[in-house]
Amino acid sequence: MENRIERKMKKLKENGEKAFITYMTAGLPDMAGSKALVKAQEEAGTDVLELGIPFSDPVADGPVIQNASYQSIQLGTNLKKVFGMMKELRAEGVQMPIVFMMYYNTALYFGLEQFVEECIASGVDGVIIPDLPLEEQGEIKEALRRDGAPILIELVSPVSAERVPRILEGARGFVYCVSGMGVTGQSGNFHKKILHYLTEVKKMSKIPVMMGFGIEQAKDVAPMIDVIDGAIVGSHLIKLLEANEYKPEAARKYCSNFKKELNEL
Amino acid sequence: MEEKMNKNDKRYFGEFGGQFVSESLMNTLKELDHSYEDAIHDEAFLKQYDYYMRQYVGRENPLYFAENLSREYGTKIYLKREDLNHTGAHKINNVIGQILLAKRMGKKKLIAETGAGQHGVAAATGAALFGMECMVFMGEEDMRRQELNVFRMKMLGAKVECVMSGSRTLKDATNEAIRTWAKTAEDTFYVIGSAVGPYPYPKIVKEFQSVISRESKQQILKAEGRLPDVVMACVGGGSNSIGMFADFIEEPSVRLIGVEAAGLGIETGKHACAMALGKPGTLHGMRSYLLQDEDGNIQIAHSISAGLDYPGVGPEHAYLKDSGRAEYVSVTDQEAMEALMELCRLEGIIPAIESAHAIAYARKQAKNMGEDEIMIVCLSGRGDKDVHTVADYIQSQK
Repeated sequence: MENRIERKMKKLKENGEKAFITYMTAGLPDMAGSKALVKAQEEAGTDVLELGIPFSDPVADGPVIQNASYQSIQLGTNLKKVFGMMKELRAEGVQMPIVFMMYYNTALYFGLEQFVEECIASGVDGVIIPDLPLEEQGEIKEALRRDGAPILIELVSPVSAERVPRILEGARGFVYCVSGMGVTGQSGNFHKKILHYLTEVKKMSKIPVMMGFGIEQAKDVAPMIDVIDGAIVGSHLIKLLEANEYKPEAARKYCSNFKKELNEL
Repeated sequence: MEEKMNKNDKRYFGEFGGQFVSESLMNTLKELDHSYEDAIHDEAFLKQYDYYMRQYVGRENPLYFAENLSREYGTKIYLKREDLNHTGAHKINNVIGQILLAKRMGKKKLIAETGAGQHGVAAATGAALFGMECMVFMGEEDMRRQELNVFRMKMLGAKVECVMSGSRTLKDATNEAIRTWAKTAEDTFYVIGSAVGPYPYPKIVKEFQSVISRESKQQILKAEGRLPDVVMACVGGGSNSIGMFADFIEEPSVRLIGVEAAGLGIETGKHACAMALGKPGTLHGMRSYLLQDEDGNIQIAHSISAGLDYPGVGPEHAYLKDSGRAEYVSVTDQEAMEALMELCRLEGIIPAIESAHAIAYARKQAKNMGEDEIMIVCLSGRGDKDVHTVADYIQSQK
């Protein structure tokens, strides 16, 4: 079966649409609430969803996602339960591509073979591991070499420079371009050479180029819209959900607006 | 393309080490490695480092034959007096080296993490000496335990950033330092205090701390005409111990013993024994033994000593353990405090609580040793910073 991310990317390209990708921490406000939020976002037209697996030491994240991770762990969320939730979502008909955003230790502790097996069994389409640069990916790539295994989504940064071609070499699905230096959720803090950097990556990339970190509204990416293939929103959505008691309606409204505005830019 | 983890990869000690950091830091680490290799092979740089070690830090420090302690325990016990260094601990050896490197790389600002505050004080001191801006990340809990060191850092002109996330101790101070570094690496140098973190840090810290064993080896050969039978040091992240072991690793006749903090006792779960009970995992850019719960989240370590309550250990120690070259043992808070009090009374030396862990195990180890056998214990720091903790402890025992 073709990977859901790749299928979605193909479809977006055919329709000439930009992708809208969101991030939410799994397990908030609770497992049932998380499921409702996933479904609301699919209905609202979100193209890909990143599900954050909470970890005790999220060094790539700013205060918003750190806090969400902490709360989720306190509520007892763990990888096993999120796999359970994924199975239910797929059984209940959710077709949206879903990517795990997680720290390497969580997968390592679970056991990489078993991790990949559970991903296949529960319909996880990709994994993003922000503390696993190219040089450390050998082991997980070995484990991912199986039919139906999720894609390891590659990240590039504004200072990746000569590393970009090597990173893109085996990349699939889409490439995640981090918009600035540092951690998630620093709004309006894009790198000073953002446009140049994205243009360079776009030139070299055979797969869609997504921009993430610090994006709140569709208009934030207006200056780069001709270069990128989509935008990723994380911390801002979490803040919005917190402020609205995790009501699916809030997610639905925000996501459908963003998607619409993104494609009108 | 896939560079598989293996023993020929210089970034690894066996299966431990590596660079588990975000993509945006990879070029920074590469630049650091190149600059370090360049510096360490440059006579002028080494001369400069040596100058500051002698004139500023006060090296070489003595390898003191602890007469009374030796008599009490029936074996020859020598103490490597890192407590006599400027700023009161071994931490300054590494800080001076890293700051000289930072200057060479053209960095203007320093950041550092600290647990007990000794590394923070050393970093603040080096920053003052070399005219650089310095921000030290310290957990709220540690700031409370080590109030005196917080004040010292401020006097020296550093900004102390209070870390309120997670355990509010060294683990989270390190997380926050890494986050800030990722934002500011262009003009900021991260001075890591222990033999931890992504490659090349464990290598760099070891190099600058190896002065401890280099001196000790010469000193013991002069005093005794032979190598010691046992070399011992406390292990938190593992910087004084890797420095104490370094020049003895290739001497198979020398037993290397690292002493971890067992806190309230290993059986209580409140300890910092990453080697005894940890499993391999990734944290702070490295793969090593870590204390983790059943979901792979990092557990909070416990020790009466702020400098030892770290849930991980430097990757080279993990390798030395697995290869059998070094042994790792532990002592409890209570054993460490008893040893601390005894060293005060027997030798007139107030050790840091961290170092008292090594002294505590030395007392146990001495029982298996003969009168003519020789043990070197690294007295990594002095205990002035700990007098409040000691007073509270004595009070709680009444």
